[in-house]
Amino acid sequence: MNPTQSLPLLQNALTVGAILFSLGLVGILTRRNLIVMFLAAEMMLQGISVSLVAWSRYHGDWGGHVLVIFVLTVAACEAAVALVFVLQAFSRTGRLDAAAWQSLREANVARTVDHELPSIDTVPLRFPTLTPAGVLPPDDENEPLQREHV
Amino acid sequence: MQEFSPSTLLVLVPLLPLLGAILTVLLGRTLGAKAHLPAMAGIAGAAIVAIALLAATARDVGPAHGVHAEAVRPVEMISTLWQWASFDAAYTPPAGSPATDARLTPRELAAGQDVRSFSLPVALRLDPLTATMLTIITCVGLLVAIYSTGYMHGDPGYPRFFALVAMFVFSMSMLVAASNFLLVYVFWEAVGACSYLLIGFWFTKPEAARAAKKAFLVNRVGDFGLAIAVFLLWMTYGTLDFHDTISSDGVIMPGILGQTRLADAAGYVGGAVGTAICLLLLLAACGKSAQLPLHVWLPDAMEGPTPASALIHAATMVTAGIYLITRSAPLFAACPGALTVVSIVGATTALVAALIGTVQNDLKRVLAYSTISQLGYMFASLGTGTLLGFTAAIFHLLTHACFKALLFLGAGSVMHAMGGVIDMRRFGGLRRVMPITAATFLVGSAALAGVAPFAGFFSKDEILAALHAKGWPAAHGDHHATATAGGPFHLAAFSSDGGHAAVTAPAVGLDALDRPETWQILFWMSLVTAGLTAFYTFRAVFMTFTGPTRVPEGAHGHGGHGDHAGHGDHADHAGHAGHDSHGSHESYESPSAMTWPLMILAVPSALVGWLLFSTNWLAHFLSATPSLTATAVAATATPHVFHMNLAIQGTLAAAIGIVIAAIGHLGRRSDGPQLERFLGPLQTLFANKFYFDQIYSALIVRPLEALALVAALFDRHVIDGTVDAIAGIPVALGSLVRRSQSGLLQRYALAGVMGVLAIVVLLAWQLRG
Repeated sequence: MNPTQSLPLLQNALTVGAILFSLGLVGILTRRNLIVMFLAAEMMLQGISVSLVAWSRYHGDWGGHVLVIFVLTVAACEAAVALVFVLQAFSRTGRLDAAAWQSLREANVARTVDHELPSIDTVPLRFPTLTPAGVLPPDDENEPLQREHV
Repeated sequence: MQEFSPSTLLVLVPLLPLLGAILTVLLGRTLGAKAHLPAMAGIAGAAIVAIALLAATARDVGPAHGVHAEAVRPVEMISTLWQWASFDAAYTPPAGSPATDARLTPRELAAGQDVRSFSLPVALRLDPLTATMLTIITCVGLLVAIYSTGYMHGDPGYPRFFALVAMFVFSMSMLVAASNFLLVYVFWEAVGACSYLLIGFWFTKPEAARAAKKAFLVNRVGDFGLAIAVFLLWMTYGTLDFHDTISSDGVIMPGILGQTRLADAAGYVGGAVGTAICLLLLLAACGKSAQLPLHVWLPDAMEGPTPASALIHAATMVTAGIYLITRSAPLFAACPGALTVVSIVGATTALVAALIGTVQNDLKRVLAYSTISQLGYMFASLGTGTLLGFTAAIFHLLTHACFKALLFLGAGSVMHAMGGVIDMRRFGGLRRVMPITAATFLVGSAALAGVAPFAGFFSKDEILAALHAKGWPAAHGDHHATATAGGPFHLAAFSSDGGHAAVTAPAVGLDALDRPETWQILFWMSLVTAGLTAFYTFRAVFMTFTGPTRVPEGAHGHGGHGDHAGHGDHADHAGHAGHDSHGSHESYESPSAMTWPLMILAVPSALVGWLLFSTNWLAHFLSATPSLTATAVAATATPHVFHMNLAIQGTLAAAIGIVIAAIGHLGRRSDGPQLERFLGPLQTLFANKFYFDQIYSALIVRPLEALALVAALFDRHVIDGTVDAIAGIPVALGSLVRRSQSGLLQRYALAGVMGVLAIVVLLAWQLRG
């Protein structure tokens, strides 16, 4: 028997795939940041891809591999398109919150309001610093403002 | 020359106006005030070609030799353009129906099969009748088009008007040139459509829109008759062609009015079926030619532009019924009862319309009732079924087209100058301010009234002679006795369902009408009508053109033409009649584009009757029409003589009418209270037009409206209610799940996940079992 077709290997790989898929699912259901939701969806996709590869390997059939390559290709395209949508959504509302688009609900359904606002970590972020070298770039007074938007 | 052969020319007559109409439609907006050019060029070309064809046909017929009746060779020319439809074995009669000669074409008989084919060639024909009609249509059409450039000047619908007039000339010339009953039906409808569009030309005016609708609906009744008649003709004769056709295997298939059948004394079906066909054709003719009881649309049709009234509702379209009956003469000749009904309808219509015309105050309505009355004359003449009757009817049609177009155009000229006012009580003495219109109108009136040297006198005299000959056959020789007895023309009738019905009761009942006493009554009715005609015509002349000059307030003198906004609002001015200006000697004469057609039409109105009567040219020419060479018609030919006693009677009647009109209306305030006092309750009856509109309203319109109301309520509440209830189901279901449409992505995703999970669980459950 070909060692690559062993059942434990399949089980391990499927476990990894299932974990990836579940993490992605939980992510998409719980997070409201559009980019994070998108990343979670990608994670689900990769979970499926891992399962495909595992099965393909188990059966010694290249079809699954080929399909995964296809999935990667399509996912790349989809990522480009999705990010454009996200950028557009952001430029319209100034927010990445998916709930910003709940105006698409049915006319007579009440607006969903966040009753418990998530606590915001007020501790200033610390970014790693490098030893200064070369010429000091000029100060830009708009810089902090831009940072906050990210 | 080959390219100018009669068949090419014949196609040009309808084709040129059609091209003119299409070009006017396409270029109308670009041309603007010159939009009349393509239509006028098309009609003018058609008129020239029609006159050339008339001359060519006349050359074929040859000159008349003296006053005596002579056998004439039928002259016709058929030009088949293309085959519209062709079906073999279109109909198989039920087994057991008698195979009569009339029902089968010889080829089918030869083949021993009782199966009929149906073919519809688009064929145009040229014979004396068609040539005469084409000349009348195109020439009057041309003069009306010239006149309209003045009358319609500045109207926002100027191009539309000329496109419609050209379209009408096309349809009408196709109607008289078609050589097939179905084609006649098609263009019968086409002229009706043109008439509808022209009556409703000022469609923003509610009365015009209503009048157009009324004309269309009343005509539908007649058109229904024509449709049934066409069906019956096909069932009876197995073809709808007028002419004989030669099939590919060289067998002659006789057309309904073809030379083969015409030469055969037993070629036409009489009895119940024949009478039914003739009465249905008469119904169609009554609709189009505004005869009792379908005459109610024509007076209302005067809401249209006056040139359209002159062209369509006086000179040409309304004569389609006369044409149809003349064309179908052999069919009618086989059914003396139906012929008598034609005369009775005609004479009654003539009398009733003349009586109504005596009390009308609207100049155009007087002329409209006069048209109905004169058409009734023609019907009375057709109904005699003699050659003299048919030719007299067409003669009167021709003269009437000239003088009635002249009178209508004159009335339009008055209306144009009076700022849209047409009520004769509001103007008077116009001969001083509109000399050309007054003079030409007088010529037209003299022709209409039958004053001696003018056109109407001769044609009316011929009609009276035709009626007199039927009423007192002994006085005219015995030519007619054989025709009226109807002996040889009674074929064994059959019913269309294949039964062996003999000559049935209705035919006998109708044929019983055909006796001298009936014709004597009809003659006296016509003579009384002649007097009434003279009376109402000259009443209109005196009220409009004599007495102190009065013009209504809205009228404009010279320099103010083109203001057509006032056409619709007589009523607005009616209350200000007291302010009419008196004694104004400013010129109100219409522009030369309008007066020239008047002067041109005045010439034939004065002369054509004498010319055609003295030379007997028209009667001789028409007698070469194939339909009129049928044995039953040609046998009634009489010598061409001038009946002095009838002429005296007719002139006396006209003179009495004119004298009464002069006593009542010459030179005074032309309101006519004397007439009202004189007539008493009859005046109310006439002024209300014998209550025809009210009777139709009560008997037909109101019940239909009630039925429509019930149907509308049923539709609105029962049918719409059911549909609305069914439509409410998805709405109700949707409202149940609508709350889940929250606009939150996470909820949608959760719903999706739950759904997938449910499917997985279900699958797992099934796999476990």
